[in-house]
Amino acid sequence: MKKYLQLAKITFQEYFVYRLNFYLWRFRSLVFFLTLLFFWLAIYGNRTEFLGYQKSQMLTYVVGIAFLRTIVLGSRSADLAGQVRSGELTKFFLQPIKTISFWFTRDLVDKFLNLLFFLIEISVVLSILKFPVYLPQNLPTYFYFFILSLLAVLLYFFLSFTLSVVAFWTEDVWATRWLFGVIFLEFLAGAYFPLDVLPSWLTRIIYLTPFPYLVFFPLKIWLEQFSGGMIIQAILVCFGWLIFFCWLATFLWKKGAKNYGAYGG
Amino acid sequence: MERTAARLIKIWLMVSLRAFQSQLVSTWASILFTIGKIARFLLFFVFLFVVLSSTKTLAGYTREQVIFFFLVFNLIDIMVQFLFRGVYHFRPLVISGNYDLDLLKPLPSYFRPVFGFTDILDLITLIPLWIYFLWFVFVNHLFAGVGYLILFFLLLTNSLILAFAFHLFACGVCVLTTEIDHLVLVYRDLTSMAKFPTDIYQKAIQGILTFTIPVVILITVPAKALLGLLSWPWIILAFVISGIFLWGSLKFWRFALSKYSSASS
Repeated sequence: MKKYLQLAKITFQEYFVYRLNFYLWRFRSLVFFLTLLFFWLAIYGNRTEFLGYQKSQMLTYVVGIAFLRTIVLGSRSADLAGQVRSGELTKFFLQPIKTISFWFTRDLVDKFLNLLFFLIEISVVLSILKFPVYLPQNLPTYFYFFILSLLAVLLYFFLSFTLSVVAFWTEDVWATRWLFGVIFLEFLAGAYFPLDVLPSWLTRIIYLTPFPYLVFFPLKIWLEQFSGGMIIQAILVCFGWLIFFCWLATFLWKKGAKNYGAYGG
Repeated sequence: MERTAARLIKIWLMVSLRAFQSQLVSTWASILFTIGKIARFLLFFVFLFVVLSSTKTLAGYTREQVIFFFLVFNLIDIMVQFLFRGVYHFRPLVISGNYDLDLLKPLPSYFRPVFGFTDILDLITLIPLWIYFLWFVFVNHLFAGVGYLILFFLLLTNSLILAFAFHLFACGVCVLTTEIDHLVLVYRDLTSMAKFPTDIYQKAIQGILTFTIPVVILITVPAKALLGLLSWPWIILAFVISGIFLWGSLKFWRFALSKYSSASS
């Protein structure tokens, strides 16, 4: 445990070495958030309800996207693929450290720092623009939202880890990650807009994938648009996906580690 | 002057051919990237179409006009990526010191940094997009007249000059700080604010997007020109701003180059 705490400390210090990178990254997140916010503000205009969402619910969805992008989709484990390709991974095999725990620790630090900046940014934006935010009326909603968000954090970690481990077999790691881990994942997770504004046949297909559990379903719980049964179902299915991807990531990691050729290392 | 231009075009064609060959080496990655580019466009298009079919208007623009802005954004964005992709490959040249070798060649110093790589995958998506764009414009009667069409192409060229100026500025920053990746991505995020008509943003943000980071000049102005919604002061302003940015970027590039320390060589 002590070594992982030390690792967290080093990762934390790393961010302050490359400060410009981090600030620019935060600036990019803010631009993305503002673009979505102004788009929905313009769409609503004087309307109070649109496509099944109250104005405050839709604007909260946009804030929720920014929040869950920070704590769920914020990750460092993508760097693992580069280490496999460069041979840098070799040093982990020689150190008394578990690779999965190593990357999970780095992920947590990344999420913590980004969350800190997100809270500052959102406070500033809220104080300037003063738009309505939807807060759940029932106390259990906070608990369910917390549980599903926690599962989403773990699910995304193993999903991302699985995509990185692909680097053991192919050189086209970035293309694979970009298509499945960025384009498809972000759209199908609802990280741009609520999925239920799309035609129902399309949303039914998307619901069969693990992606909506990362952003869309947690936010539907927060907005209290899910019944009790649907919440339990979402949590159980997400848990099922988590077990599957945890197994897949570990399985592929073990297989890949055996084939690892330490190129360039 | 003409002979120099012809020589540079010939070299650019050779560089592009080499880039194409290098992309053919990793066919699988090229296929995944192309699928990703098309999927990103289609998913966003479906979203816009669905939302605007319900609202009918956005900031006073009809559904067809908003989609038209989205298409113009994609056209300019892809053309810029296609032409100036070299910027993404410049950092390794500076860090390794290999840029020294390019400075010895009888070429403008900015040629390799900006035009050093051409992404043929962008050309693959660009051609059908142009065809669809022209079809969409004529079918929906968004074409205000031949004069406006000429103006549109003039302002499109102006946008490319402006984009060149920004990319050259980013290369200058790279020479001074060895940082470029996030800066270019910030540019891309800011330009993506013009996916929608920039009239949806608050006046202060519109001001920033016109004079500080001229996204409005880059994308919204050519789009409005074809719709016949642009006044003469805006046309003059667009050319003046591009001229100032180009002049400033060239000055900054010369300054940055004078500080180039040929690291690692």
